[in-house]
Amino acid sequence: MVEVPSGGSSVRWSVLDTGAAPDGTIVCVHGNPTWGYLWRDLLHELGGRWRVIAVDQTGMGWSERTGPRRLAERVDELVAFCRQETEGPIILVAHDWGGPVAMGAAARLDLRAVVLTNTAVAKPEGVAVPPLIATARAAVGPTCRTTPLFVRGTARMTAPVHREALLAPYRGADRRSAVAEFVADIPLGPADPSFAALGRSAEAFGALDARDVPVLLLWGGRDPVFHDRFLEDLLRRAPHAMVHRFPDAGHLVALDEAIAPIVSRWLDGLDRIGDAIAADQGPTTAPLPDDGFGPITTALQERRDDPAPAYLGPDGIRSWRTLSSTVDHLAAGLVNGGVRPGDRVALLVPPGAEMLEAAYGVWRAGGVIVVADSALGAKGLRRAFRGASIDHLLGTPRTVAAARALGFAPGSTAFCLGRLPGTVDPRAGSGDTALPVPGPHWPAAVVHTSGATGPAKPVRYTHGALAAQRDVVRTSFGLDADHGFVSSFAPFILLGPALGVPCALPEGDILAPAQLDFDRFAEACRRSGSDVAWLSPASARTIVRTAGGRLLPLRLVMLAGAPIPTELAGSIAAITGADVRAPYGMTEVMPVTDGGGATSDRPVGTDTGLPLPGTAVRIAPFDDPSGASLPGGSWGEILVSAPWMRAGYDRRWDTDQRSTVSVDGRQFHRTGDVGLLDGDGHLVQLGRAQHVITTAEGPHPCVAIEQPVAAAIGREVAAVGIGPRHTQVAVVVVRGEGPLHLATGDLTDSVRRSSPIPIAAVLTGELPVDIRHQSKVRREALARAATELLEGR
Amino acid sequence: MRILVTGGSSLLGRTVADRLVARGDEVICLQRRASGSTARDHLADITDLDAVLAASAGCEAVVHLAALVAPRARWSTFSAVNIDGTRNVMRAAARVGRFVHISSPSVAFHDDASTGAGVGAADYTGRDGYTRSKAIAERIVLTDPQVPTVVVRPHLVWGPGDTQLIGRIVDRARAGRLVLPDHGRALIDSTYVDDAADAIIAALDVCRPGTEAVGRAWVVTGGEPRPLRDLVEAILSAAGVGSRPRSIPAPVAAGLGRVVGTLWPGSEPPLTHFAARQLSVAHWFDQRETRRVLDWSPQVGLDEGFRRLADWFSTAR
Repeated sequence: MVEVPSGGSSVRWSVLDTGAAPDGTIVCVHGNPTWGYLWRDLLHELGGRWRVIAVDQTGMGWSERTGPRRLAERVDELVAFCRQETEGPIILVAHDWGGPVAMGAAARLDLRAVVLTNTAVAKPEGVAVPPLIATARAAVGPTCRTTPLFVRGTARMTAPVHREALLAPYRGADRRSAVAEFVADIPLGPADPSFAALGRSAEAFGALDARDVPVLLLWGGRDPVFHDRFLEDLLRRAPHAMVHRFPDAGHLVALDEAIAPIVSRWLDGLDRIGDAIAADQGPTTAPLPDDGFGPITTALQERRDDPAPAYLGPDGIRSWRTLSSTVDHLAAGLVNGGVRPGDRVALLVPPGAEMLEAAYGVWRAGGVIVVADSALGAKGLRRAFRGASIDHLLGTPRTVAAARALGFAPGSTAFCLGRLPGTVDPRAGSGDTALPVPGPHWPAAVVHTSGATGPAKPVRYTHGALAAQRDVVRTSFGLDADHGFVSSFAPFILLGPALGVPCALPEGDILAPAQLDFDRFAEACRRSGSDVAWLSPASARTIVRTAGGRLLPLRLVMLAGAPIPTELAGSIAAITGADVRAPYGMTEVMPVTDGGGATSDRPVGTDTGLPLPGTAVRIAPFDDPSGASLPGGSWGEILVSAPWMRAGYDRRWDTDQRSTVSVDGRQFHRTGDVGLLDGDGHLVQLGRAQHVITTAEGPHPCVAIEQPVAAAIGREVAAVGIGPRHTQVAVVVVRGEGPLHLATGDLTDSVRRSSPIPIAAVLTGELPVDIRHQSKVRREALARAATELLEGR
Repeated sequence: MRILVTGGSSLLGRTVADRLVARGDEVICLQRRASGSTARDHLADITDLDAVLAASAGCEAVVHLAALVAPRARWSTFSAVNIDGTRNVMRAAARVGRFVHISSPSVAFHDDASTGAGVGAADYTGRDGYTRSKAIAERIVLTDPQVPTVVVRPHLVWGPGDTQLIGRIVDRARAGRLVLPDHGRALIDSTYVDDAADAIIAALDVCRPGTEAVGRAWVVTGGEPRPLRDLVEAILSAAGVGSRPRSIPAPVAAGLGRVVGTLWPGSEPPLTHFAARQLSVAHWFDQRETRRVLDWSPQVGLDEGFRRLADWFSTAR
């Protein structure tokens, strides 16, 4: 208990204080109706190094019950507390209505940094009062004081384990007076007594940038009260703020997620953050050349008078001329409809000509396309688009109507390629609108990863990176002739107009690549005069299966998606006589290698060929990605840098930090894959780092077990580690039917004999695969199932 | 070095004694019947303090393996042998200077799986008399030891000549009465007898004042967990038994064990609840610390162990 000066008298505050510590002082301010318990993670994990103080505000938690307090009085009390109890610059941490209190105090305190979790300093324009708050205010007495409705409702927003603790100080109506008074004090308009005080808090928050006070926003994406529109409002007021948004956390993000390690890492980097703010929100790659930069729309404009086809597909043909003029027209319509440079436009257009028109139209208009794979499903798409704070929707009548119904982008304007009430058709715009010319550092795209190797993550790209990607594809794969390419993987046709190369989609459902058979593929190549093809592994397999001895001569076949088995690459080479490439790459950096080893057999791993010119590949020690680069032949985590690399993850400060390693001023992307550089300089991929089996004897890439075993028994297998890391045992699962069970004794013996390391158990059953590619074995799920089986019951 | 080994008539005790003798130590085996080892026997009961003190005269170390291992017995008997007997051996060890006490990983068993677990507290308080008495004994041994003391918990020891585990499995399989819970899916670690004996000798060698090993318990296993089904099949094929075990659901096994273990008239019920649970859930352990601190690692292992078992079956029977 601490006596805090309050309006000439004093009030007793309950305070959790971890005591003197070397690194500094952190003062945590809860909201309504929580208390210092909210910060248990910070208190527990940061105490010792930091003095962490979690106060209970007057009338709240275990502090003294007094008469009502207005926002201005709460601010005064917090200032008085900090002046009395702390020395030197402090770090303020706040949540919910603790935010306005802390920011009000911020104006009068010496600050080192500010960390805010789901809060607000103002109601953004056009945003309704959250229904929960409106209801509570309309009936403050019954909801907040006489019944524990409000307190219980808040406690229910997090895991049941926290509920008792959150409710404890608020049992009995007399204990809840301040809860009701807090709600009643929320200023909704200028007539409310605390309106001016809230304005001062907003002002103080907005002044943090000029005061050089770093800000970290830790945000729960599923908060019905302080939702993403409030996050946008805070970012507008403090553009220098760093954001880590947890898509699955709610209002009580401090209890839902392990925030302490993130806060700790952020505080440790405070000295460096000052420099980073000047550059960009996240890490960038090697410097991009400003001179001679040609935006990705350049080739399209250059061929604006060309009547030759630029796109051929089931939905028709577009000449360079029509494509170019449609794009310009559409861009003008978007600009006239309110799209400003840097605005985010959700691209909800199915693959085909309209997708090309829409994407290039947004780019010509200076906007940022936001794309997510439809395989994520309605829920996944909603999650992805909401997290990206979309400014505008762009789609067909069907997709726009669905997106609005599902609430993908509340508050956004909708553009529709077709007639839909309440939307604007951007093609109706006039053609003489001035279009901006993007620079290399302009944001161009937010692309969500497929989710095949973990939850979908939003990746930011600049125009410079997209242009560099275009250039490396052009020079490394000779895609500069007038011979077009066919793609079974829809997003790749976006490269066509950038390269100035005609592109084609085959007939049939492009979202079901496994249905692309030899006949439809051959027809698409013939019709478009293509001698290059871009195939997903699923399509390649179907084409091989349905070829029936027929041949289809091609110059180049690119296989992309998952590690490609050499036997598949070999079969495609036999049918097409083409140079078959399977370049290594991922959403964050694509491509990395030339894919030159696609058909060369290796006992262990996948040969992805030579790293492309302009890339830098490092092999870092497994478990220590920032460690020294390993010599050739040793395996470790693959780190990649290239001018066409991602700019960063969107609103994922911590993911950015952990996925980026800086070496000699160059930013490397941690791929999460393991591999090695062989004697010829080829990058050999050995699977995912998280699939490495860590036994007491050492780490083993799963493919080092799978490949020799599969070769010996002639069946598909997956190897997983079970048990705690670094003392795991290896389990091999042979593809079979039904739920997992022990394999027969004979099969078990054959597997054990052919494995390079001891195998604890051999199981058989269905192998779970990813939805997107239908080929990546989901080893995490498999490991969980194997663990459960072998644990017994 | 002159060493007193108690419980020399068991497979593990006899192997420890033989291997100590083979490396040049002078060994006295204390147990009620002839050990059959190469060491000198001192036939006595560990519940007889004077006999234990007499046997330990002139020794420099005591390795205590003697225990009453039984699925069921009166608590007073378990207590007399495993707790009071251990107290007697401790008193002898206190005069001698070094004490290696053999415990069991089951003293930390709580009916749930151990997957890569460390050394749990010896806090078993369940119904199994053997385990309960061993848990109490271990706690007594590690509470304020008078001399350097190391506790070793070898897990599921087997080898040629084993009448306990191997003998029972083979006999039941021959009679067509062998059943495994849930097809024997639980991943279970075990220890070949020579490897377990080496670990005990390694513990004896590091049982000196101030080492990391003293004052603590160490789980010792072969570090090669396998599904129970694989272990049983390997034993049966070593024994040349053709019949294969049947399966019953693990909860049924536990229920049966509770009934049979309680109502069975004799001292050797074919199944107890405790045994059913032990065979139904995984048991394997993090061995990194044990191997580092004892400076020991298994030299024989499972596959070579099963070959030796097959050789023994083909020559001895």
